Amino acid sequence: MYRVAADIGGTFTDFVIEDQKSGEITIGKVPTTPENPARGILNGVSQLIGDPKDIEFFVHGTTVGLNAFLERKGARVLLIMTSGISDTYTIARGHREELYKLHYRKPKQLVPRKDVHEVSERLGWDGSVVTPLDESSLQPIIDKVKAENIPAVAICLLHAYANPAHEQKVAEILAKELPGVSISMSHSVAPEWREVERASSTVMDAYVAPVVELYLETLKREFLEIGMQQTIHVMRSNGGVMTDTHASKHPITTLLSGPVGGSIGGVELSKSTGVENLLCVDMGGTSFDLSLVVDGQPELSNETVLQGLPLLMSIINIDTVGAGGGSLAWVENGGLRVGPQSAGSVPGPVCYGRGGTQPTITDANLFLGRLGKGSLLNGDMTLDMTSTASAFETLGREIGLSATELAEGMIAIGNAKMADAMRTITVGRGIDPREFTLVAFGGAGPMHAVELARELDIKQIIIPRFPGTFSAWGMLQSDIRHDFSVTYYAVSDEADTDRLAGMFKDMLDDGKKVLIEEGVPEPHMEFTRSIDLRYVGQEYTINVPLADAANLDAAIEKFHDLYQARYGHALHEAAVEIINLRLAAIGRLERAAVSGSTEQASQEPLVAHRNIIFNGRSHRSPIYKRDFLPKDGVFQSPAVVEEASATTIIPPGYTFKIDDIGNLLIQSEEDV
Amino acid sequence: MTTEVNPITTEIIRNAFNSIAEDMNAALIRSAYTPIIYEGKDCAVALLDDTGEVLGQSLGLPLFLGNLSLCVQIVAEMHGWDYFGEGDVVFLNDSYIAGTHLNDVTVIVPIFWKGERIGFATSRAHWLDVGAKDAGQPTDSHEIYQEGMRWAPTKAYRAGEPVDDILTFLKRNSRFGDALLGDLHAQIAAGNTGKDRFCALLDRFGLETVWASRDDIFRQSAEMEHETIAAIPNGVYSAEGALDSDGLTDDAVPVKLTVKVEGDHMTVDLTGSAEQTRGAVNCGATQTVSAARVAFKLLVNPRRPVDGGTFTALDIVAPEGSIFNAQEPAACSWYFSSLGLLIDLFVKAMSDVMPDTAAAAHYGDSMVLILTGYDQSKNDELFVAVEANTGGWGGWNGNDGQDCLINNVNGSFRDYPIEVYENRYPIRIQKYGIRADSGGAGKYRGGNGSVREYQITNDANMSLWFERSKTTAWGLFGGMSGKPPEVVVTHPDGTELRALKSNATPLMAGTVIQVKTGGGGGYGIPAQRDPDLVQADIENHYVTDTEAEKSYAV
Repeated sequence: MYRVAADIGGTFTDFVIEDQKSGEITIGKVPTTPENPARGILNGVSQLIGDPKDIEFFVHGTTVGLNAFLERKGARVLLIMTSGISDTYTIARGHREELYKLHYRKPKQLVPRKDVHEVSERLGWDGSVVTPLDESSLQPIIDKVKAENIPAVAICLLHAYANPAHEQKVAEILAKELPGVSISMSHSVAPEWREVERASSTVMDAYVAPVVELYLETLKREFLEIGMQQTIHVMRSNGGVMTDTHASKHPITTLLSGPVGGSIGGVELSKSTGVENLLCVDMGGTSFDLSLVVDGQPELSNETVLQGLPLLMSIINIDTVGAGGGSLAWVENGGLRVGPQSAGSVPGPVCYGRGGTQPTITDANLFLGRLGKGSLLNGDMTLDMTSTASAFETLGREIGLSATELAEGMIAIGNAKMADAMRTITVGRGIDPREFTLVAFGGAGPMHAVELARELDIKQIIIPRFPGTFSAWGMLQSDIRHDFSVTYYAVSDEADTDRLAGMFKDMLDDGKKVLIEEGVPEPHMEFTRSIDLRYVGQEYTINVPLADAANLDAAIEKFHDLYQARYGHALHEAAVEIINLRLAAIGRLERAAVSGSTEQASQEPLVAHRNIIFNGRSHRSPIYKRDFLPKDGVFQSPAVVEEASATTIIPPGYTFKIDDIGNLLIQSEEDV
Repeated sequence: MTTEVNPITTEIIRNAFNSIAEDMNAALIRSAYTPIIYEGKDCAVALLDDTGEVLGQSLGLPLFLGNLSLCVQIVAEMHGWDYFGEGDVVFLNDSYIAGTHLNDVTVIVPIFWKGERIGFATSRAHWLDVGAKDAGQPTDSHEIYQEGMRWAPTKAYRAGEPVDDILTFLKRNSRFGDALLGDLHAQIAAGNTGKDRFCALLDRFGLETVWASRDDIFRQSAEMEHETIAAIPNGVYSAEGALDSDGLTDDAVPVKLTVKVEGDHMTVDLTGSAEQTRGAVNCGATQTVSAARVAFKLLVNPRRPVDGGTFTALDIVAPEGSIFNAQEPAACSWYFSSLGLLIDLFVKAMSDVMPDTAAAAHYGDSMVLILTGYDQSKNDELFVAVEANTGGWGGWNGNDGQDCLINNVNGSFRDYPIEVYENRYPIRIQKYGIRADSGGAGKYRGGNGSVREYQITNDANMSLWFERSKTTAWGLFGGMSGKPPEVVVTHPDGTELRALKSNATPLMAGTVIQVKTGGGGGYGIPAQRDPDLVQADIENHYVTDTEAEKSYAV
């Protein structure tokens, strides 16, 4: 029996298949089928596994919700807000994202103003009723939804986080009058204060709901047709998984289903290697994402912004730093620039031979011999070396450099820029990157990892097994996770601890219920409580673990510590405010212990030598096949380590080896 | 004598300069005490070379653009470059040096490498309280001594040692002394971050290479800028307008601006603008230079980072004794209203020759409402609710102006969510909406202003600072102007008060304050507007039927 993860990317769907008994892992790739992504998954199952009955557990990262949003192909949504204040959604807090811009337009909202309607009612800040709900004010809305066949309604009433009664009543009436219309309520999507952010989240939920539901139904039906009875699990933005049933109920939680796999993989890697602090970089053809593992834990955040639209949801922090291998070189007033523009997948790098003429980082790697001619996509792609060389010569002439100098320079500039951006992110969080180990994955990550680490003064680098499909591997390592939250605003020393305990109890009951529905047996359940705190008068909060709901003092002590770590100082005398209470309900999934390949390498790892240019000098460098590297040997750079999904470039000055669980460990010689 | 340096090294160094500034900014925001800095981003940082030219800067408040460089150069003029010793930390806030109001404090950390002074890590941040006559910021000050402590260049650290007398003095003279020292140290932390990273860059590349790259970078910026200016026809372009008042009288305060373009060079002359006023709408010359640079940057290569080669094509003339080059003891607290108008007028003056880059005027001011009082439901705890209001921006060739957007001199402003506001203050926001028909009609219409209605449930004092009702947001090329702001206070007994400026007016619980901000100007003749857009505006209630009929004959 197998545990299977599928990561649906723009071009390929990656598979990682784990044999439950032996722990043995195999990987595979099939083309993504964008018109119906379920097709690609089924193709993968039949090609890579054969009999679907052998699948014990299936999890996948889906991008259908995100794509529906990015391509603006979600459902038409009607938004209902409290009378007098419905424009808050459209005004969206009135700020500018770009400061030197006369021609500034705010990000376009998903619901046009004419589809934002008001219902007569008003609650006070404490949830008390100021104006009772006038049900008759709903009639024109009901008529409009019917007449114009609007498929989805979002409801966000003022102070609903404090008292959901009016929202529930409105939803109840609409459900009765408008069968078949999908209804999202703000207190259920994001029961936290701040009406603009909450409305925006509720609208997003309603917007992607019909698309996500249809996709999951299709996938489930087609799975049943080929005889696969197992529950389908879906990766969620918070790094946990959930069943398809829950994904349909809370479609917004699938939004960043894809990229979080790598971060969870990082957490698992931290556990299995004992290295607690990791800087994880995922570099593909068109993207470069950074996430952190600090003290063995992923960095979670409770809100994010997508294309300018705020979303309140539990999400793993991932910073997009640059454009990846597709970054283009260009000249401006005699200066050489690299990125941020990317060649994307069309036309792509010059070497793809699809009409690109401006050299990219990928071209530079190829031109310098760092990337073997057969190493892109398992050699399935033929590369146009002639055009690549001439592109470097042309641009080089323009700026007075040889083609080789230009290619090496582009990589140097690209690496320095990425390292600069990574440093700024870590400095802003009060973290010194030198205390971290760099983990690199994605198709292009291992190619740049060592030089990036050198820029950041990081001595140790880990290239995990199967770096090209590491995100899919990470998905296999996650547990079921549901996050609950509720706003409770009080100055800490005036907090009503009984009420607090009661609110946690309610969330715990809800959490248990969901886990039971997800089929999690009681001994596998785990609940963690936390609380959002801040100093009185501040806007942003820090989430602090709360071991015991009755003991706020410990949490407040911890808050001062976290504040100190993050901001460099703490205000021990200042009053602390409670803003939100949170509970994570986790269902542990059983899986094999992380292990490397059980087969001992029997073939000679050294397959060839290639001349590679480092620091302007050509080095005759050995090329090793990673699968055949023995676990007991220590090797010397310069070297290239090749495998099916990626190529690792190790410039002079490093040693490397394979550890017990199959990771490639690279160590700077300066440190030994 | 120029050292040849290859373009790869130059580009790595150029990126590093900007990245050092970003790190300084991250360090400042990370360690600041006051929300205005770490949330409002009312701050700026710059890494400067040995002559005070900008190597890299990180953007906080646009109005501080290029100002740190001038501050260092002015201090050097006053005391000589050797005034800046190794391990010193210099701070200043004198409006007649730094240009801005006293709350904005500049901190300079000189950088030494191998015993040689090779640059400066500088920052500016808004401090919560510098000991003005009223908490926060008075709206009725008439001399600078009422606005807080005023510091010429002063050393907080000398050769690495804190100057305790000065630090104690600072702490004792602020209502929030601990926060003040906290923010000073945050700025020093930012300076040290810049210093460490710049020295690491010099360790890696050496001084000669870094300076050669610097020269190359400045040359690239200057070339780009001069090319852009050279493409503008030679000529003299001007525009004028007026502030409603200086806050103390009802007299308008005229602002006149003339731009002369000659070849690849541009001069901005403010001759003809008002003499310095008794009320607090004045600023020092340095801040006028910054505002002119902001306006210039809006039109000329806005995406290119600022460095020592930027603004080499721009000269600014601000007559001494005018509101733009005020002398002691002119009050400067609300200096940004004049500068907001200056920026708009610059764009207007250039609009004939840069019709596609320009835009019609925006609503023009921060439009601040301050409510203070003692909250009876919270044991008479003091509350101070201060907020700027969003308004309409001008249309441009290609699109309508944005509705309800914060004004041009503000930084990372966000309005308060109603839910947060009502939790914190004894005030209910009954209405917050888009003010239909307030944007000027045009082929591309002006953005609409906003309407906010506050009901106070507790006695409170109200201060208002709403500008630009006399010079409303003008249209361009046949576009109409936007509507002026309006504030109507309805007392519990039904009587009304209309005002745009006031200082601490007492109001009783139950009073309703309705605040309407202005709209932006339209661009192009209204009759040429696409009828589908007029229809969409009606459907979305941006424009009423009546207005559509009147302006667009629909």
